[in-house]
Amino acid sequence: MANVITPVLTKGIGELNLRDIKVYQEQGGYEQLRRAVKDMAPREVADICNASNLRGRGGAGFPTGRKWSFLPLNGRPRYMVCNCDEAEPGTFKDHMLLEETPHQIIEGILIGAYAIGCDHAYIYIRGEFKRGYEIMRDAVQQARDAGFIGANVAGSGKKLEFTIHRGAGAYICGEETGLLNSLEGKRGEPRLKPPFPAIKGLYGEPTVVNNVETLAYLPHILRNGADWFAKVGPERSPGYKVVSVSGHVVKPGNYEVPLGTTIRQLIYDCAGGLRPGRTFMGVQPGGGSSACLFEEHLDVSYDFDSVTKAGSMLGSGAMVVFDDTTDFVKAAYALIRFFAHESCGQCTPCREGGHWIEQMLARLLAGGGLDSDIDVIKSAAHQLTGLNLCALGDSIEPFLASVITRHEDQFRAYVRRAPQTAAAG
Amino acid sequence: MSAHVDGAAGIQPLPSPGGSAGAGGGEWSPYVVRPDSAFDALYARLLPQIQPLVAQYEQKRSALIPLAHLFQEHEGYVSADAQAAIAYLVGEPPAVVESTISFYTLLFRNPVGKYMVQICRNLSCILNGADDIMAYARQQLGVAHLETTDDGVISYEEVECLAACDRAPCAQVNLEFVYDLTRESVDAMIAAIRAGNYPVAPLPQTVKPGRTWKVEADTGRKSAGAMGVQQPNNAGGVGDASGMIMFDLIVGKPQYEQRSNERLLRETNLRPQPAENGHH
Repeated sequence: MANVITPVLTKGIGELNLRDIKVYQEQGGYEQLRRAVKDMAPREVADICNASNLRGRGGAGFPTGRKWSFLPLNGRPRYMVCNCDEAEPGTFKDHMLLEETPHQIIEGILIGAYAIGCDHAYIYIRGEFKRGYEIMRDAVQQARDAGFIGANVAGSGKKLEFTIHRGAGAYICGEETGLLNSLEGKRGEPRLKPPFPAIKGLYGEPTVVNNVETLAYLPHILRNGADWFAKVGPERSPGYKVVSVSGHVVKPGNYEVPLGTTIRQLIYDCAGGLRPGRTFMGVQPGGGSSACLFEEHLDVSYDFDSVTKAGSMLGSGAMVVFDDTTDFVKAAYALIRFFAHESCGQCTPCREGGHWIEQMLARLLAGGGLDSDIDVIKSAAHQLTGLNLCALGDSIEPFLASVITRHEDQFRAYVRRAPQTAAAG
Repeated sequence: MSAHVDGAAGIQPLPSPGGSAGAGGGEWSPYVVRPDSAFDALYARLLPQIQPLVAQYEQKRSALIPLAHLFQEHEGYVSADAQAAIAYLVGEPPAVVESTISFYTLLFRNPVGKYMVQICRNLSCILNGADDIMAYARQQLGVAHLETTDDGVISYEEVECLAACDRAPCAQVNLEFVYDLTRESVDAMIAAIRAGNYPVAPLPQTVKPGRTWKVEADTGRKSAGAMGVQQPNNAGGVGDASGMIMFDLIVGKPQYEQRSNERLLRETNLRPQPAENGHH
């Protein structure tokens, strides 16, 4: 059982105090940064990343090497920004990596910064992660004292500066242009794209925004070679992934597995399966923004392309599992309320659509809903998609549409339910 | 890269009213307001922290949110004076500072309790019984979402996913995580806070908080849908779907016990319609 679990980023967590730079270095930490800045040209590091076929672990799954390749050769300053604004419902991998292995993240960021020819890297940490921020601050100080951050990285004569920026509570700052606005001291409202950050990012200069987990794999890919990563799992979607499994499972937690592991293995072998006597009703495979998958999808390979083909997305790698006690109306309401609350308000379909669907579901749950509400919800949901500056508006619909299609009876049952009396609640 | 921090090292104590605003923000003007002189002591005390905070960015406006965090850590909220000081430091009008701060849920523009209890209301926590925990906490505290207890000690908020779904239902108390909530652990938490021996430090409280520190829709992300739930003539408080009454704009009493379908229908802007009007 559980033999699919392959600790790479998560190796040593729970056993070693990896927050201590000495312990991290005993495990081979910072050797790859030293090797990169001393023995390799930035181009070589980027080529290895490209050859590994590493795809972004934050949600969109865009090939990291290609993202880097969009930077123009215009002699302007460049920025590397690490996105640690993890707030996708169901996702808690970056939270763990931040608190448990801060040096691995720093090394990954610095290697990435070196590879793209940038000398000032930023990490944007979610405001709620106050403890994680303090841990990162201490780790950065240790790394600075050890000579891995500053004007002369690992004695190479090269400069790499590092700034930690703490957010203040806004899901939308996980969107890369919203994050950059927030980092510039503005409201975290996403920007119109193009231009993409690679052309005009932080302070208007070429910028790469990568997820924590993506960058944390870089030291391992340098150490073991591009093939080590590229040969694991499906060819177009290779490597390892930390998957956050929660909801109705016996052992919720973060499980690092090769992509291509099945959803069934993740739920039953890793997370201990469902509670005794319960049956499987569905799983949200990629965070709050992803459509629900059902029994027939249990043997779908968990990788970017297969999950997309099954009608959902791998997203941030967060599985929320539902058993037969689930009220999908309440589940949908919790997520729609979230998106309505977190909409930045710039685009009308997202700002208005989210709130109106939230209110219709609210009325349904309160016992005052109409059959026509469900038809309106069904027609409204897909009118939100593709009409917004960023993906938040597009994220409102998938889960709701998937469960209302599959379990319309649950929604209709609320219509027929007698309205609550004043005393009930 | 050469434009490293315009004048961060030159940040000085606040100049006197009427004089030049100096390196931070040009002349004092209707748009650059000097904080009240009562604020000068705190400002001077924090100067050693303000300087490196501004200096770590290549453009000083990036320091806006870190500065707001800093002042909030000392005043308990980002006061109007603090906002004016931030405006001076980053060289933007106070309106820009307030607009920015209002976007972020962790920055308070009004005083809050010494303990900010924030329970997660998102999916994984709901699946693990957060609804019951939240209802219980509201009842035990005698407050609704976004309200502070009458003694000004505990502020209560229901928040979105805290990224601790493996230990659901979860919460944060002054941003320290609390996991695997039960009714018993909620009781224990409240008792410890009231007894003054809760293992998390209280927030500073320079001003006694009012009943609420913001309204639900007041996240700086206005919406017609959201505006519908806070009509100014609606003196009885407003409700959300879980039946709780979220705040009370005029009367100072929590309304959480008044959960009626009629209220909800009235307050969500959705009234029963004939079926044929379902589409427009």
